[in-house]
Amino acid sequence: MIPPAQAPARPTTIAEPSAEEAGIRRGAIRVLLANWTGAYTVPSRRLYPHQWSWDSAFIAIGAARWSPRRARTELMTLFGGQWRDGRVPHIVFNPAVPEDAYFPGPAFWQATAPSGARTSGIVQPPVHALAAWRVHLADPDRAFLYRIYPRLEAQHRFLRTSRRMSGSELVSIVHPWESGMDNSPIWDAPLAKVAAPHMRERRRDLAHVAAGERPTDRDYARYTAIAAAYRDAGYTGRTGFVVEDPLFNALYGAAEAALARIAAVVDADPAPHLRRAEEITQAMLERLWDPSGGIFRARDARTGEILPEDSVAGLVPLILPGLPADVADRLVATAVTRFGLKDGTLLPSYPPGGAAFEPARYWRGPSWLNTSWLVLEGLRATDPGLAHRLGAQVLRAVREAGFREYFNPFTGEGHGCGDFGWSAALALDVLADPALRAQYRLDRVPAPLGQLDQQRGGVVEGGDLGDQVLA
Amino acid sequence: MTAMTAMTAMTAKTMRITCQEQLVPGRTLQEKFDFATAAGFDGIELRGKGGRHFESRLCELTRAKADGVVMPTVCVDMPHFIGDFSAELRRDAIDQLRSQLSVIAELGGLGVMTPASWGQFSLRLPPFEPPRPPAEDRAVLLDALTELGEHAAALDVLIMLEPLNRYENHMVNTLAQAVELCRATGLGSVRAVGDTYHMNIEEDDPCSALAEAAPHLAHMQVSESNRHQPGTGHLDWAAHLATLDAIGYHGDLALECRLRGEPETALPQTAAFLRMFL
Repeated sequence: MIPPAQAPARPTTIAEPSAEEAGIRRGAIRVLLANWTGAYTVPSRRLYPHQWSWDSAFIAIGAARWSPRRARTELMTLFGGQWRDGRVPHIVFNPAVPEDAYFPGPAFWQATAPSGARTSGIVQPPVHALAAWRVHLADPDRAFLYRIYPRLEAQHRFLRTSRRMSGSELVSIVHPWESGMDNSPIWDAPLAKVAAPHMRERRRDLAHVAAGERPTDRDYARYTAIAAAYRDAGYTGRTGFVVEDPLFNALYGAAEAALARIAAVVDADPAPHLRRAEEITQAMLERLWDPSGGIFRARDARTGEILPEDSVAGLVPLILPGLPADVADRLVATAVTRFGLKDGTLLPSYPPGGAAFEPARYWRGPSWLNTSWLVLEGLRATDPGLAHRLGAQVLRAVREAGFREYFNPFTGEGHGCGDFGWSAALALDVLADPALRAQYRLDRVPAPLGQLDQQRGGVVEGGDLGDQVLA
Repeated sequence: MTAMTAMTAMTAKTMRITCQEQLVPGRTLQEKFDFATAAGFDGIELRGKGGRHFESRLCELTRAKADGVVMPTVCVDMPHFIGDFSAELRRDAIDQLRSQLSVIAELGGLGVMTPASWGQFSLRLPPFEPPRPPAEDRAVLLDALTELGEHAAALDVLIMLEPLNRYENHMVNTLAQAVELCRATGLGSVRAVGDTYHMNIEEDDPCSALAEAAPHLAHMQVSESNRHQPGTGHLDWAAHLATLDAIGYHGDLALECRLRGEPETALPQTAAFLRMFL
């Protein structure tokens, strides 16, 4: 008896994409199409009408799944706003958008990159090397890596030389906006020490989103004051807010590991990147790890104190290369117990048991897909089952509420703006599991070129068919 | 199968890839179809010549259909078009298309596509000033499309308007212009065709243009930035085809191009290339 042919090796747990998954994929691509400007993707047509630094990185990660070319352009245009000192500003302004469409706009920042682009002067978490590497994995392109590597290297050199403010390997942020999670309760304590002058400028965000979902006026006044002080100091040195943030530093470390991989492709030396990645992980453990709380915490670099509040930022170090297994296990336990990851809820940005928890206000409780994605990536190695569940929750959120900016972690209700760029992009990335993609390709192998069959009909007369193509 | 049932049936499937008949070796449509399917295509796009020639092929086409040849669409292949400056030639173009619509309806196909005109005038080439003002261009096209649309509706097939680039036509260059005319007829049987080659010249963002034209888009022709087959130029095929999927397009991708290389190697490569992104 002939044994049945052995099926090709395929992961058995992965099914054909369901109609539901296809629906999410199509919806996500429609959002990215609508937010594409020809050179980059706006996070939101109304609320955020310019190019944002870490948004573009997350969007590139998702764009790699449907148009690697757009993903490469997304990153290259962002680095078109890079300064001579290497910093990648958190906003590159679109000159065609009116000054009053977003506050603080170009007139506030008064900064111009060497390329001529008007920009802000602060930075955001350095996800970019990671994004560049993911884009390369989706569609290998050494030329792209050759072009972006020196820019990424300069970005990291800026952080290393200008932002290591405590003598350790860790870098500091000088504005809550630089954390990417500006309204988080973690910043309440250090922010309270900043004088809050009366704000003269008019906020633009409240025209698009309910005030109950955005930072308060008092905090917005403080944000503006810190930014103005940093600007007036020539965008150098310290401000009234100097903090070592676990999310920012975890991404800084993960990005060094990604730079090492990129360096190997572009014939540069990966060793310094690997060494720095190790040193960053070590410094994170020494300076920000709280063994009793089982979470990483931010440190006020002005006072040297560990800040009292926790947030999802403290779980993101799961993506750190070389994180000891016992620390990773503690982080998973914290994610499950304090952030309720096992209960089928979305991953909140702030622990629901915390005193400052608000399920719908900007970074004070709602779930965001970028932090969820970072924790998911970190969980892949530590707890794949939990990673899978988190991925399913991400997809459920966008299926039920659309590609909203953030979500109530318990009810899944959407908040902030709609058609939000990274929510669409990261849902695409979660959908496009590499194993699943491999399976798609298997189904698309073209038929081999066969032989012509016998003639069965009338003969076409010579000259019957024009061969003139309209061009 | 009528056009409407064909459209309904297609919603359950992915996009099909077809190939214009003159690109495929073979003495008969059956031979061409065998070659095309072996090369990875799903069907043939027919070419509709003038002088009632297409009508004269009815016997050949019927036999091909009986032999299982898939040939849902007809691309017009005539010396004059519905937007001609001469009323007489316009009338002839409309009559030819009426006849072609009747034939494709008989074969249970989707419909017939035509540009507004081709090679008649370009606003970018001397003498720059067309003999007819734009308002009259529009009136002429609207009359023709309405007449053809009513005929198509009665037969349950589609008349499809294809924008051409500025050097080949001066009246309808973008999908938005085609969609505007489709809407103006008020007929569901008048639809738009996108051709990736022309779009790469005319559309600011071809992908956004497809998304905006989605409800009126009935057919696609694929060819590269250089008018050769996909994969030989610089179009972002991943983005184009993901966009078509995202907007719920389930029609055909018909290869209309100048073939670089021999069909024996170029056609299988092209089908495999396109399927990579489907």
